[in-house]
Amino acid sequence: MMSSHTLAMMLFAGFVSLIFAVLMKDRPAEQARLAGRLFAGFVGAALVLGWLLFPFPR
Amino acid sequence: MGRKSRDARRTRVTPAAGPAPADVRGDRNRALAAAALGWAVPGGGHLWLRRRKGVVFLLAIPLMFVFGLAFGGRLFPLDSGQPLVLLAAVADLGNGLPYWVARAAGFGEGRVAAASFEYGNTFIIVSGLLNMLVALDAYDEALGRRRTP
Repeated sequence: MMSSHTLAMMLFAGFVSLIFAVLMKDRPAEQARLAGRLFAGFVGAALVLGWLLFPFPR
Repeated sequence: MGRKSRDARRTRVTPAAGPAPADVRGDRNRALAAAALGWAVPGGGHLWLRRRKGVVFLLAIPLMFVFGLAFGGRLFPLDSGQPLVLLAAVADLGNGLPYWVARAAGFGEGRVAAASFEYGNTFIIVSGLLNMLVALDAYDEALGRRRTP
């Protein structure tokens, strides 16, 4: 269905960020801010870890 | 010891006026019903409590579950012989009604050869775990521990 691992990871990060933010914050503006920060954290961490693992392909 | 401090101590030992035991039991039953409904239908507990955020859960959690199935993820069986499979099955069960509908419709066999197989498993497992969190949040909201729109 989806061949891009990056897109699948971003989709996953989007869902988890949205649900965590709605659970943890009360006002829509706070929820949007937290969701954005969580999403950036998930995607950023995955990219950094991906590059750190680059020298070890197998 | 002065009269003032004696009065203060007397005030402290006076039992606080709280809800009657029947009210507490009623609140707990309502909270358990909200949690059970929230587990069966993602976001259902919040919607029953008239919390708007239930709509987000109602849309996002089943959609994540459907993505998991579309990626070729597997609905794991309750197999006590394999502890990791058993844990994954318990997490899958957290999805509630969508899990049973998918199982009855024959989805979730798992396409092991698909590149997205592990993504599918992760989506299904995590949507189940998130729904468990949502059901617990509905329980807290029903008890008045949280008050959100």
